[in-house]
Amino acid sequence: MRFPLIQLHNVTRRFLLGETIIEALCKVSLTIYGGEFLAVWGPSGSGKSTLMNLIGLIDSPTTGEIYFETQNTRQLNDNELTKFRGNKIGFVFQNFNLIPVLSALENVMLPLQLRGVNTYTTKINATRILEEVGLKNFITARPDKLSGGQRQRVAIARALVIAPKLVIADEPTANLDSNTSKVIIELMREMNRIKNVTFIFTTHDPRLLEHVDRRILLNDGQIETDEILQ
Amino acid sequence: MKMFTLAIRSLNRNRRRSIVTLLTIAIGFSAIALFAGYIHNIYEGLTRQSIHGELLGHLTLSKRGMSVEGKLNPEKYLLTASDVINLNSMLKANSQIKLITPRLSLSGILTNGRASTIFIADGIDPEAINILQEGFQTELEKQIGFGNDYLKQLDAQHPDKALFSKGLIPLMQLKLGMQIPLLVNTVYGQANALDATVNGFFNTGNAGTNDKFAILPLKLAQTLYDLEGGADRLTLLLHNEADTEMMRTNLLKQALAIGYDLEIKTWKELSDFYNQVYAMFNIIFGFIFSIVLTVVVMSVANSMAMSVVERTREIGTLRAIGLKRSGVIKLFVTESLLLTSIGCVFGLIITLIIRWCVNMARISYIPPNSPDAVPLLVDLDIERITLTAIMLLLVGTLAAYLPARKAAHQPIIDSLGHV
Repeated sequence: MRFPLIQLHNVTRRFLLGETIIEALCKVSLTIYGGEFLAVWGPSGSGKSTLMNLIGLIDSPTTGEIYFETQNTRQLNDNELTKFRGNKIGFVFQNFNLIPVLSALENVMLPLQLRGVNTYTTKINATRILEEVGLKNFITARPDKLSGGQRQRVAIARALVIAPKLVIADEPTANLDSNTSKVIIELMREMNRIKNVTFIFTTHDPRLLEHVDRRILLNDGQIETDEILQ
Repeated sequence: MKMFTLAIRSLNRNRRRSIVTLLTIAIGFSAIALFAGYIHNIYEGLTRQSIHGELLGHLTLSKRGMSVEGKLNPEKYLLTASDVINLNSMLKANSQIKLITPRLSLSGILTNGRASTIFIADGIDPEAINILQEGFQTELEKQIGFGNDYLKQLDAQHPDKALFSKGLIPLMQLKLGMQIPLLVNTVYGQANALDATVNGFFNTGNAGTNDKFAILPLKLAQTLYDLEGGADRLTLLLHNEADTEMMRTNLLKQALAIGYDLEIKTWKELSDFYNQVYAMFNIIFGFIFSIVLTVVVMSVANSMAMSVVERTREIGTLRAIGLKRSGVIKLFVTESLLLTSIGCVFGLIITLIIRWCVNMARISYIPPNSPDAVPLLVDLDIERITLTAIMLLLVGTLAAYLPARKAAHQPIIDSLGHV
C-alpha cells in the first residue's frame, strides 16, 4: 500500500534579485509516495533545484504548505527542522560536498554523530554502508584521493547512513562522465529497492530518466508533465 | 570528539595561515608576559625597598594628627616614654608582629668646621635596624652583591656612632671615624648640638635624599631632641605582609580600648615612590596590553573570518545534514579556542626561554632618580599571565563567534550555493 510521504499544496517560491522578484515555483501541488524513485527534469531555470530545496526542507515556500508524512513543516522552527532533516532526509549534492578534512568513513559517520549516536555504533553502521556502496577498500581515504564516482558513492553512503525516509539528490551526476553517471543512478536505484527509501533526483540527462518509476517535467516553475512509468 | 577533530583538521588545512596566527598570539602573549614579569620584579623590589630598605616596616603607628598638625606642634603629638611602654605591651600581645620599634625623625644642620648643610635623620634602635633589613636582598642579589650599599648597621655599644648617606661624603668631606657636630632644635624649641662619629655610609636609593640623610641610634636622636624614652612613631614589622590591612584594623581597635587615638599607616601609604612607580607601570602595562590584544584580536578575527567565508559551502552541507546553528558557532569557536590555547602555550614557552636568557645575562641599568644601576630581572607573574591567557581566550572566542554566528544564520541554500 502506498502512503504519501511528501505533499506540496499550492507551493510558490519567490526570490528577490536586486529589485526584481523572481517566481521560481508557481503554485505547485504534488504528492510523492514512500519508496518512489523519482526524477525531476527540465531546462535550466525551470525550478528543479528550488523544488528539491523545498522538499528537502532546507528552504521554505513563500506561500503554500509542505507536509512531510503528517507534519506540516511550516510549524517547525529552525532547530526542529534541522533535527527533522537529520533524522529523515539524506542529501546527495552535485559537487559531492564532502568534508575535505575527513576520511570517507568519517564523512559517512558525521550525520549519525550529529544525532548523538555513540562512536562504536556510528562506525559499524558507516562501515557497513560504505561496503554496500562498494567502497570497502577506501574507508580511510580522504575525498581528494577519490575519483568523482567514488566521492558520489561516499555522498550516497552519507545520505543513507541515517536510514532516511527520503534521499534528495540535486544533479548527482552533473559532474560525472556518462558511464559513472549510469553506475551512480543504478546504485541509487538498488538502494531504493533494497532499503525502500524514496529517492528524488534532478537531472539534465534524458538517458538517466529511463531508470525511474516516475518523472516530473518542470518548466517555468510549474509542473508540465508528471509521468508514472512501470 | 568530532568537533575537536574537525577543528584540529580544519586548522591544519590552512597550515600557513594557522601558523601565522598562532605566532601572532604566541609573540603577543610572551610580550605581555615578559613585561608583566619585569614590572612584577620591580614591584617586588620596590616592596622590599620600602619595607626593609627604607625601614618603613609594614605599619607605622603615631598619634592621630602627627603627620599634619604635629609638624607645627610636635610636643602635643609625640609619644612620651610612658606612651611607648603602654603601646609596646599592647602590641606584644599580637603574635603576627615580628618587631616593634620606636622611631624619631629630626632635622637640623651638620657642619665640618668649614661648611654646613642641612640634614634629615631617623633615630632607630641599632638592634631593630638589623631585623628590619632582613629580607631586603634576594638570594640572587646577595650572590651578585646588589644592594650591599643600601644596608645600614648601627653600633649598639656606641650610641654616638651614626651613619650618613653617600652624597654627604663629597659635600662635607666626611671620613670614617670623623667627629661631626649635629645641631637641631629640641622639642621645646631650644638649640641643641652633639657630636656624632661617622661610622659608615649608605645609599638611600633616591638621588633626592642621598646628600642629606643620616641614621642615628635612637638614644642619640632622643638626646638631641630632648625626648628621653619618647618617639614620634612606632614601626611594626609583621611576619606576613598579607596581614597588613587586617592588623591595622585590629590595632586601631585595641589602641582605642586602652585610650589611644592612633593613626596607623601602611608602608604603601607612606611610600610615595612605590605608589608613583606602581601607577606609572600599571598604565604602561595597560597600554601595551591593549595594543597587543588589539593585534591578536585582529589576527584571530581575520583568520576566522577567512576560514568561515572559505567554508561557507561546508557550513551549508553540515546544516543540511543536521548540524544546528549553535553547532556551527561551536565548531568555529572550538577552532579559535584551540588556536588561541596553543598560541598561549607557545607564548609561555617563548616567555620562559627569553626570561631565562635575560636573567642569566646579568643586564643592569640605571632607573630614573636612582644613584646606582639595578639588575634587569624578569619574574613569572602568574596572576597577570593567567589573566592574559583568559583575555586572549575570551577575545579569540569573540573573534570567532561573530563571523560564525553570521554564517550560521545564513540561509542554507545560500551557503550551499556559495562559490
